Amino acid sequence: MSEKIFAWLLHLFPSRFRKAYGEEALQLVRDRCRDEKGFFSRLRLWLDLLGDLALSVPRAYFPVQHELTGYLAHLRSGSGPAFLVLEEESLGPGALFFGGLLTLAAVVSFSVLLNHRVKHVPLSALIRAAPGSADHRSSSFGPRTPEQARDFQQGAIAPATGPQPEMAASGPESSNANDARSNGLTRPDGSGPRKVQSGQRLGSADAALAGANLNRAERRRVVREAAANLEKHYIDPVVAQKMADALREHEKNGDDDAATDSSAFAELLTQQMRDVSHDRHLEVLYSEAPLPRRPPAPTPPFQARYRKAMEQANCTFEPVQTLPHNIGYLKLDSFPDVSVCQHTAEAAMASLNHADAVIFDLRDNRGGSPGMVMLISAYLFDHPEYMYNPKENTTEESWTRSPVPGSRLADKPVFVLTSGRTFSGAEHFSYDLKMLKRATIVGETTGGATDVGTFHRLDDHFGMGIRETRAINPYAEPDWAGIGVEPDVRVKAADALERAVRLAESKLQKK
Amino acid sequence: MPKRKLIPLPSAAFQILLALAGEDLHGYGIMRQVAEQTRDRMRLGPGTLYSSIQTLLDAKLIEETEPREDAKLGHERRRYYRLTSAGRKLARLEAERLADLLRLARAKKILRGEYV
Repeated sequence: MSEKIFAWLLHLFPSRFRKAYGEEALQLVRDRCRDEKGFFSRLRLWLDLLGDLALSVPRAYFPVQHELTGYLAHLRSGSGPAFLVLEEESLGPGALFFGGLLTLAAVVSFSVLLNHRVKHVPLSALIRAAPGSADHRSSSFGPRTPEQARDFQQGAIAPATGPQPEMAASGPESSNANDARSNGLTRPDGSGPRKVQSGQRLGSADAALAGANLNRAERRRVVREAAANLEKHYIDPVVAQKMADALREHEKNGDDDAATDSSAFAELLTQQMRDVSHDRHLEVLYSEAPLPRRPPAPTPPFQARYRKAMEQANCTFEPVQTLPHNIGYLKLDSFPDVSVCQHTAEAAMASLNHADAVIFDLRDNRGGSPGMVMLISAYLFDHPEYMYNPKENTTEESWTRSPVPGSRLADKPVFVLTSGRTFSGAEHFSYDLKMLKRATIVGETTGGATDVGTFHRLDDHFGMGIRETRAINPYAEPDWAGIGVEPDVRVKAADALERAVRLAESKLQKK
Repeated sequence: MPKRKLIPLPSAAFQILLALAGEDLHGYGIMRQVAEQTRDRMRLGPGTLYSSIQTLLDAKLIEETEPREDAKLGHERRRYYRLTSAGRKLARLEAERLADLLRLARAKKILRGEYV
């Protein structure tokens, strides 16, 4: 190593010198390296080498040979004592000043570097960041961009801090997995959430410990619990058994040993289950905050708060606008609970009724109640239509109550604007309308929510989501879970409205 | 060490000449010999060593001998250096000069003691 560095440093010397002595100089360093082992000897070696470079490189360019021969002649002349200095003049004040400044800069930067706190990165994290592993998976599951990840974190994972409409929207009707997520669960995969998590780690040493260190016994316990939960709750007992066996087998074979990081471990288990079942609605989640023993049930005050928040926010329906060419535009930021917001929804749909084309803007829609999805969709059909929803068993409720008396929207062109922040219930709406070819999806691929499972606590920090319903997907799997709904017309979210308006106009003109 | 700074010699060249006074040596041998005779105060780095050697060669104070192996250091062939008569003479002159200096220093009661 030292030799290589020195070989490189040798290039500082003039080529004449390198040609004559380069090999010998290298040999000398090799010899010293061989003879001087140990930290302090090496340090001394390098101090020697660097000091030597600083002195000899300038001299190599400005040889002092004539002085030495002159000195020789001087000595030969036999006169008295002679002094000879290589530098004829003493150092000028400028050189001293510059040297002092350089030294000061070096000392200051060194002390700054010493005091600079560098985040400790465990080796396993570096290994995991290697190409093809986590990054690859995150492309097929979970939020794909930092922006998505942020919203993902804010909206879907930790929504229960304050009466925001988004959080409220996923309240009463869907109280299972979403509520569990509200405890600050981080998704096992996707680079985004992990980033957020590492940010949290900086703030809490305890959390860092909990997140980073995972011993074999803990892993075994999580695997055992996960397998038991699969066997108990998974809808297909045969597949459940296969997955449980696979989990135990991987654990036994030591396949999990590399996963000392909790998030990575959750991700690994998720992948192991999906390798067997290809079920994107299954996942193991890791939470830095301890999971409560019992997920809090929606309480009456919660209901009251929800109702109040919805009333204040007009149920997240923004006023219906009529754009040129009689295009109706409705921006909807959630699918609020029908029991609270039915009238608001009906009023909004009534305002749209005159339109020749409708644009639903779901770019900021974080999802919500399937009931509301069904209610709004019903206006768009002249006959009951099956709306696939992985969250719920296929029942009579899975068909829209179409036609809606008085609705004139059943044959009007519909456009749905999406973004990476379009999530959950909003994806339900977009996916089905797209698959039914009832709407043109304009914008970006949606967030890809996988929040359809019931949450099961595995231990204080691990949980898993298992889908316990079986909805019939009339379209080829997969649905949007983990991958989002692809738009029909892909444009940046910011440009989606403009594009949809143009599309609507051209469609109306053709008529 | 301001004391050393004020005195131009012992220089690397003089030390190399002294190192070669006993036997022919290769570069690393010279470096070790110089370190030994200066009680580790002077460890010549490769740059200084070989530029000094070049200068001494040019001044014909030392000469190169046939490359050969050093049995103690493996099978690599090494260039050995030998003190020329001119080099030996210069070393002696320099030593005398230093001895004169010492005598002067003693006379001026700057240096005490019997050694050297």
